[in-house]
Amino acid sequence: MRHNARATNGAASAVRGLFLETHCGKRLKLLSQVLFVSMFFFRAVAAESGLTTVTNPQPILDDLQRKMSSVTSVFLEFTQERHYQALSDAPFTSEGVMLIDRPDQIRWETTSPFQSILLGNQKSVAQFEFENGKWKKLDLGLPEMLQRVMQQMALMNQGKLDALTADYNVSVATNSSFTILTLIPKDANVRSLLPSLEIRMLPDLSATKEVVMHENGTDFTRIIFRNEVRGVKFPAGTFDQSKPLDLAAIKAAVNHAP
Amino acid sequence: MSNDEARLANFVLLGALLLMMAGCASSPQHAEHLARPDWTFPGDARITERAILTARGKEYPLNGFLACSQTGGLRLVVTESFGQVLADVLVNPEGHVFVMRSSRILRPGWIRRYVARDLQCIFAHPPLADPSVTMPETNHFVIQRPWYSLDLRVVQVEPGPQPGNRFDPNRREAP
Repeated sequence: MRHNARATNGAASAVRGLFLETHCGKRLKLLSQVLFVSMFFFRAVAAESGLTTVTNPQPILDDLQRKMSSVTSVFLEFTQERHYQALSDAPFTSEGVMLIDRPDQIRWETTSPFQSILLGNQKSVAQFEFENGKWKKLDLGLPEMLQRVMQQMALMNQGKLDALTADYNVSVATNSSFTILTLIPKDANVRSLLPSLEIRMLPDLSATKEVVMHENGTDFTRIIFRNEVRGVKFPAGTFDQSKPLDLAAIKAAVNHAP
Repeated sequence: MSNDEARLANFVLLGALLLMMAGCASSPQHAEHLARPDWTFPGDARITERAILTARGKEYPLNGFLACSQTGGLRLVVTESFGQVLADVLVNPEGHVFVMRSSRILRPGWIRRYVARDLQCIFAHPPLADPSVTMPETNHFVIQRPWYSLDLRVVQVEPGPQPGNRFDPNRREAP
């Protein structure tokens, strides 16, 4: 019984910490950094054959930012692979879509094996789960953290890597298949959780093909993008944080994009 | 990052996970089995879970990846929504708990005490008894506590034999 009492007290204490300390905006920065890194970043450039590290990456970063500045919107389908070697030889996979509309609207939707929509912009963030045949809006904890993640995603999509260099060291390597941007957290504590994140683009920087996040050890997450469509005029409600438009309607608009 | 920031990062996510696990730890009834509809999971399988933790009116999504063996072994990886591993825990066929991997967010002691017990409450064969755990429908579990609730859905079941080394505590990364 003493053990049970300790457990209950511990849980109550954790609850208090969870909801009292999270009001400190500065401290949320770390959490958002961790999640941001975990969404996008990876290691392994050195292990890939034929890769050449670019001594001065700045011209490539400038070129990327220039090319991305003309992209007003993008629709991507993705497969997310979670590789946990200790648990399974084959990855656990999920499917979904990512939509970005300038200046700051983002929709990250998982379609399988569960359904979830994450919507964000500079002012707010919202998440929906599909339960019992209908969408349910979550009353999210830590919305500031997710909002920051979404903002950084927008910066990435716009090629504004300079805006991230305060928190990450950025390097570039190339081969015949990819131009690979590697972001390494400057903070040692963040780096101990997620050593690096790779963004793999076509050599001409015209499309993002993969994002790979390596953790310490052998685990990593790979997000493989496909069917990228740019310049989409998304229908009304696509980024509505109260009642988001159904994905089928969005896809219909995407398929009719010029 | 300051020590305070690191402590907060640990504390917040630890708290969320702790809440998720605490229910099973607070009222164990080892000798009894949970009264609920029979589940349909195969003995050997990979299972993917999606869970929503609710505490003080706020909701936190979590993912779980589980390998289970016919012999009773359970191996669970818990992650936050975007894939960051928070815990890797093994319960061997004898019911012994091994922390295979921990994180700054979820430390070994917490994993052993709460994550493992929660795992056994829902997925052991048979599960540990806990009147706060219900299964309103197949593959859908709800843990209801005075200060939190957990809505857990099994979203994917991939039947198939699991290699024995998945349940070997000697193959362990440093916690």
